[in-house]
Parts: sequence; C-alpha cells; structure tokens
Amino acid sequence: MGQCLRYQMHWEDLEEYQALTFLTRNEILCIHDTFLKLCPPGKYYKEATLTMDQVSSLPALRVNPFRDRICRVFAHNGVFSFEDVLGMASVFSEQACPSLKIEYAFRIYDFNENGFIDEEDLQKIILRLLNSDDMSEDLLTDLTSHVLSESDLDNDNMLSFSEFEHAMAKSPDFMNSFRIHFWGC
Amino acid sequence: MAQPPAFVFNILETPEDQGQDPSPYDESEVHDSFHQLIQEQSQRAAEEGLELRVLPQREPGPETLGASGSGHQALLGPEGVPDYSTATLRILASMPSRTIGRSRGAILSQYYNRTVRLRRRGSRPPLGGVGRSARPSLRLYDLELDPTAFQEEEKRTLLVKELQGLTVAQRDHMLRGMPLSLAEKRSLREESWTQSGKQRGPQGRRGLLPCCSRLRYACGLALHSLGLALLSALQALTPWRYALKQIGGQFGSSVLSYFLFLKTLLAFNALLLLPLLAFIVGVQAAFPPAPADSVPTFTGLELLTGGGRFSHSVMYYGYYSNTTLNQLCGPPLDGSQCTPEAGGLPYNMPLAYLFTMGMSFFITCITLVYSMSRSFGESYRVGSTSGVHAITVFCSWDYKVTQKWPSRLQQDNIRTQLKELLAEWQLQQGPRSVWGRLRQVAILGFVWLLCLGTTLGCTLAVYAFSELMIKNPVSAEREWELLALPLVVCLLNLGAPYLYRGLAALERHDSPILEVYVAICRNLILKMVILGILCYHWLGRRVGALKGQCWENFVGQELYRLMVMDFVFTLLDTLFGELVWRFISEKQRKKRGKPEFDIARNVLELIYGQTLTWLGVLFSPLLPAMQIVKLLVLFYVKKMSLMANCRAPRRPWLASHMSTVFVSLLCFPSFLGAAIFLCYAIWQVRPSSICGPFRTLDTMYEAGKVWVRHLEKAGPRVSWLPWIHRYLVENTFPIYLVSALLLAVIYLNIQVVKGQRKVICLLKEQISNEGEDKIFLINKLHSVYEGKERSRVGRAQEAEMPPTLPADERDAR
Repeated sequence: MGQCLRYQMHWEDLEEYQALTFLTRNEILCIHDTFLKLCPPGKYYKEATLTMDQVSSLPALRVNPFRDRICRVFAHNGVFSFEDVLGMASVFSEQACPSLKIEYAFRIYDFNENGFIDEEDLQKIILRLLNSDDMSEDLLTDLTSHVLSESDLDNDNMLSFSEFEHAMAKSPDFMNSFRIHFWGC
Repeated sequence: MAQPPAFVFNILETPEDQGQDPSPYDESEVHDSFHQLIQEQSQRAAEEGLELRVLPQREPGPETLGASGSGHQALLGPEGVPDYSTATLRILASMPSRTIGRSRGAILSQYYNRTVRLRRRGSRPPLGGVGRSARPSLRLYDLELDPTAFQEEEKRTLLVKELQGLTVAQRDHMLRGMPLSLAEKRSLREESWTQSGKQRGPQGRRGLLPCCSRLRYACGLALHSLGLALLSALQALTPWRYALKQIGGQFGSSVLSYFLFLKTLLAFNALLLLPLLAFIVGVQAAFPPAPADSVPTFTGLELLTGGGRFSHSVMYYGYYSNTTLNQLCGPPLDGSQCTPEAGGLPYNMPLAYLFTMGMSFFITCITLVYSMSRSFGESYRVGSTSGVHAITVFCSWDYKVTQKWPSRLQQDNIRTQLKELLAEWQLQQGPRSVWGRLRQVAILGFVWLLCLGTTLGCTLAVYAFSELMIKNPVSAEREWELLALPLVVCLLNLGAPYLYRGLAALERHDSPILEVYVAICRNLILKMVILGILCYHWLGRRVGALKGQCWENFVGQELYRLMVMDFVFTLLDTLFGELVWRFISEKQRKKRGKPEFDIARNVLELIYGQTLTWLGVLFSPLLPAMQIVKLLVLFYVKKMSLMANCRAPRRPWLASHMSTVFVSLLCFPSFLGAAIFLCYAIWQVRPSSICGPFRTLDTMYEAGKVWVRHLEKAGPRVSWLPWIHRYLVENTFPIYLVSALLLAVIYLNIQVVKGQRKVICLLKEQISNEGEDKIFLINKLHSVYEGKERSRVGRAQEAEMPPTLPADERDAR
C-alpha cells in the first residue's frame, strides 16, 4: 500500500523530490523509469547505484567533452544513486536558478580541484572543447591570457569563484548552453 | 564536495603525523594541491640536512582551501612555482580565501547568512530577488568571519533553525537553490519540518491511523494519476515541445532561436486576433448587414487575390456596418435618435471597431516593449566589457547537443570562432597605416553607396510599377493582373539580398559578426523602404484614384495578396533553395556541402510577414488569423527542410543576443512603422463614403468624437469622460508635459548609469590593488620565515648540534 502501481516511487517521495529539485513531476518519473532500466533488476530504486561509466554513456552525456568531470562532481564515492542523478538533472534543467548552474559549472571546470580555475584548467578546457591535442602552444597561451585578462580582477592569474560568477552571471549564453535534456522527457 | 580525491601524506614528518589520512571534509587540513608543493619543499629541506617541523594542524576558523597567488610580484623558483617555505604554504592554505563555498560547512554558513537576511527583512521579499550571487557576504551575519569557531554540526543546526522561520514556499525555494546533494537537502528539510511540528511529517506517522492513511493514500493516488493525465494533456497542448528539443539537440541554440521566435510571433498574433474576433468579427457575423446587390460566385482565384467573393465577407473593412447593431428599432444613421427597446443590447459598431483596433495595438505595443526590455535587461550589465573570450571558452559548448555529428560540427565551429577571435585581436594590434585605413573606409563607403543605390533603384521600380497600375486599372475579368505588383515586390525582395551578398564580398570586415549585422541592416532597409513606398502609394495615391469606390477594401486586399505571395515565395525558396542545393552538393560529393540554415534571412522574412499583418489589420481584421495559419505551416515546412537538407551555420552566433536583436527589430522598424501607418490612416485620411463603419465621417477618429459629444449630452453623471477627452486627449499641453517628464526621467537614469560605471571602475581598481597587497604580504611573510630558517640554520651550524624537538616547535610557533 502506498506504492503507485506503475512506479516504485512513493507519492510522498515524488512530492519531496519535486519540491527540492527544479524538475517537474513528469521529468522525475521519466528519470525514475530510465534509472530502473539501467540498474540491476529487482533492486529497490533507492538502493541501486549506477557506475560513472554507465552515466557517462547516457545519450545526453555521451558526446559531452566534460562528461567525466560532470560525473565526478555529481557522484558520491564513485557511484550515482538515484538522488545523485536527480540532483544532476535538476542543475541542468531549464528552470534551475543561475546561481546554482554557475556554482556547479565552476566545479566542473576546475579540473585540478584546487578551488580556482587557473591556466592549467583553462588549457584543459580549451583542449577538451576542441577535442584535439594538436593545438599550437601560442594559440593556447594567447587564449588563456585573453580570458584571464578579461575576467581576472585581482591579477593573480586564476579565476576565483567570484570572478567566474561575475563573468557569467549576466550572460544568457551561459544559461542557454548549460542545459541538458535528460532521457527524452 | 562530491568526490574526495585520493590523498596520501608522504611528507617527512614527526612520527605522530604519519598514518593520518586527511580528507577534504576535514576542513582544517591542507588541500592536496598544496601537498605537492609542501612535499617538494620538505624534500629540498631534508636534502639540506634540516628536519622539518610541522605547524599544528588545528587552525580554527574557516576553510583552508586558499591558494597562493602566483601573481606578478611572487617569487618564482626555477620551475616557475612560487618558492615558498612550507610554513608559508601552510599559512596560505589556511587563508579565508575566496573559494569559501567549496566545502559543506561553508555552504551551510552561506545559506545561513542568506536565510537570516531573508528573515530579518521587514516585508516579504520576492523569491526571485533573493540574490543572484551564490555567495553573498553580509558582514553583520557572516559566519565565515565569525571569530568563534563553528563546527559543521553547529552551522547545520543554526541553518535548520533559521529555515524554520521561513514560510514553506521560501524554505523550499532556498533549499532548491543550495549546491548540496539531494540527500543532504532532504535531511535538512526533514529536520526543519519535524522541529516545526507540522502535520505532514515523515513516514513515522503512517502507522498511527491505518484506515485514515489508507483513504488518504487512495485519494493521493487518484489525484496523482489525475495530475499525470493533466500534465500529459498540457504537454500535448504546448505544441512542438519535442520538435524543439530535437532541433536544439541536433543544430544547437542558434537555429533553435529562429523557431522560438516563430513561436513568439504566433503568440503575438493570437493576442492580436482575440479581441478582434470577440468584439468586431463575431458581432458583425452575428448581425450581418443587408446583402449587396451582386455577390460574385466563388472561384479559386480568390484565395490568391483576396477579392471576388471574399470582398463581401467579414474579412474586409467594407463589410462592417456603420450603425448601432441590435438596436431593435428603425435603422438610424448614427444611433442618436433611437431609444432602445427592452431586450436590446445596442452595440455601436464604429466605436467598437475604432476602440478594438486601438486596444489591440496598445496591448501588442506593451507586450513587445516589455519583452524587449526584459531580454535586453538579461544580457546587459552596466560597466562590463563583453568579455568575448571568456564567454567563448565557457559558454560556447552547447550542452544540449547530444548527437555525434553535430557535436563534431560544434567543435569545428568553436575552433573557427577561437581562431577568428585571435585573428581579430592580432589585426587590431597590428600597425595600421593611415593609407590602409583610408582605403578601407573608402571601400566601405563605396559598397554602402552601391547598396543604397540598389535600394533606391528597387524603390523607384516599385513606385513606377504602382503608378502604372493606377493608370491602367484592372478590369473585373482579369483579376489575376492584380497579382503583378506583389510579384514584383517579392522578386525584388528575393533578388536584392543576393546582390548585397555579392557586394559584401568586396569589403573585408574585422569581425564576422559585424558582417552579419551589416547584412541584416541592409536587407531591413530594403524591405522597410519598399513597404514605405507602398504605404504612400495606398494612402496617398489610391485613395484619390479610387474615389467613389471602397479604397479600404482595396488596400486590405493588396496586403492579403502581398502576404500570400510572400508565403508562396518562401515555400518555393525553401524547397528550391535548400533541396536543390543539397542535390547539387551531393552530386559533387562534398560532404560538407549541405547548405547552411541562414538564420538572418529567415528571421527577416518572418519580421516582414508580421509587418504586413500589422499594416493590414485595420483594413482586414481577419489577417492575423491568416498569419497564424501561415506561421503554422511554415514551422513544419522549415523543420522538415532543416532536418533533411541543412546543417547548422558556421558563423558564430551568440544565441542570447539574437533573441534580443530579433525582438528589437520587431519592435522598432516593424511595429513602429505599422503604428505610424495606422495612426495616419485613422487621423488624417478620409474614409470612403460607400462602405465600412466610418462611411459618413470625415476621419475614422471622429467616431470617438461623436461618442464623446453623445456623452456630453447624456448628463452630468458621466461628465468626467468628456472632460478628460477635451482637456487631456485633445489638448496638446498634457502631451508636452508628459513627454518632458519622460525625457527628464530618461536623462536622470542616464546620469545614474554613468555614476554606476564610474563606481565600478573604481571598485575594479580597488580589487586589483587588494590583489597586489595580498601578494606583497605573502612575499613579506615568506621572507620573514626564510629569515628565521636561515638564522636557525646558522645557529644550528654554529652550535654543531642537532636541534632539539621542543626548541624547534617553540621556534616554529
């Protein structure tokens, strides 16, 4: 009793997820369906986990050059629980607030996880964007120096979170591009 | 933090430090990015025969994820890494740095501060304005700077306590925006629910009342399935949701913006059509006038020319009566001498026509200006440079794209874009001789002159042709000749842009984006000038030429014909332009030969079509319905052609600016021109005397004046309306006053923005000064520690004794 006949999810859980994420109920149920299809059968959805490889190979993330960073940021202990997946979908949904997207974008782009986006991170981002290692050194250094000269306000050759936020906050490009439609919902 | 990195402490240390495995959750530990540096330093120190003492670990206070600034003043070692001692590094690592949101405790503090600020405000603040920044700093309530050390648990309890003080909606909104994992948010929510003792609590209450809860669950399930059914029905109603996602996934945001613009135009037309249907078309259809003498039969040609059978229908202005409908007495001339009988609801048709047109345009104007200012406000920030490199690097990858080939295309686009950006910068940096600049200006001027000349030529051609059409009026049997003028206009609209593109190949712009904007500008000028000449032709010449006939009907039909021709040409262009091009390029076996989806040209066509609708709505109230049908068909045709034949454009289009540009173009040349045309037609032109709702009046506006005079006679109860009309609308002084006030407000706003820009410049300077201060202090610190180390080494070498453990600890402290 208390379980929806079509879904394993309790109605109260659905309400709670809907209140705590930026997803609609329909989207949460779609994600629930797909999650159940991917995780081993017979397991309760709250205990099942997906590996980072499984999440990386989802159609929404398959061609994303930053999929490993996305998985690393959103997973706990190397695996994705259902709530981790929901959290990830919520950040990338259309209704998510800009501050949340900027926060997670900063974490994703911080490759060496030192709390700053420094030149090394920027170079890695550019190489990932172009998906090639044969970019000339001059081009890379030019580009990173341009980005830093535009956004680095206190001249320490790194982008702190405030500087990143300042650069991205009023850019609707960022809001438009930092969206993923998961699972064809 | 989501993922604790593998962390092994290999540094040469005191025995009690070995075996510790700190994790980033332990906030007072050093982050692993410092581990490398510390290790190198300590190894270097060990090689020199020193024993390194470690500073005490427990540094109370905030998180220790600071980093050293490797700025201009930093001491650089041989590898380029700042050559700081371990002690300096440890102190740097414990700086209350800018990355205070990285660990959970810091996030809790941040949101505690924000919640407190939210609660202590007097009025309930709008949820949207809680602050765009994820990391506000409010010194008064800042837990970060609070000297008494709060552990994470205490911070959490404080946050929960503050959350309870909020309302449910605010609490959920706050929780939703927190960058924590969903499990933690759930526990925070549960704690704030249970402690506030609400009824809908956690699952524990379920066992208490089994039968009531079962009933509740049954109701809940029923509601749930009802809700899902409603949701899916709503989703079926929001049209094209899946289609838009498909387009976005395959072609990216820039092509998607065209289709979103199409959807916006549909909404505008629906907004325009509803009042017209309700107040004009519906009423007149319910009370049709006396049928005309000879109504021609329906032939297929009416669909193209709009004349014939259609002239005597609700479609055109001429059908509408100039009397008061539903009056249930003898047909009066202007409804003033008839007293309505009981049961009648008199409906003054001329007044209704005038007011409904004015109201629809006013509502459209307000909506347009609002959406334009909103999209402008989203993308404009005072005092900021565009930062195009940063935006390209961080925002150019469209996460929506999910297929392999488009993603590869996106990579190519980004590569091209980056190269073009750098090339542009280099070009600006390169020395530009005066001669080169002059030459470029000359070429630019020459090409513009040619383009404007082409525009003038096209305009003259249209004018001459229209004069020709006046001189040789078309007889009733050869109605298809009426299609000649729209055909000429459409051909010119099709051919001139290709000419412009050819001419634009002569000039070389610095930035490709500028090229696109210039092309849009030229095409827009062409279209608007041609429409302008046509408007002059209708209101200036046709009114005179068609004396004794219904010129409004004619103008309405002309606009109908223009719309139909434009639609036919768009379809042909889509089919032949894109399909045939694809066949040609496939034959040549060029894989990248698929034609690009030319966003600018397609959007301009949409704007042109919408301008025609707005121009014609006064004379043909059902024109918006036609435009809606046309847009619907266009969506599917364009989508089909896009999927089959096209690829995404290579030009770097910033999707954000595009929607602003589109709506601005819709508002300024297009809607403004239509509004001017409408105002002129209502105020200055004499309506024809044999048809339409204003046939006995001097101008259309007089219907309003007649009504006001009617009201004046009606008595003292409604005397304020005529008063308003006489002293505020007819009088010019209030208009001058309001304009002067608006200008003053605009001027004040400009001054405020200037002041804000100055303040922003000063603050930026201050930030960079603070950064230099910080580097200076770090260097000083380093030199102090280095001096200490050196003196200690000196003393140790003099004493020729190994330094004892407690002495060193005392020294280090």
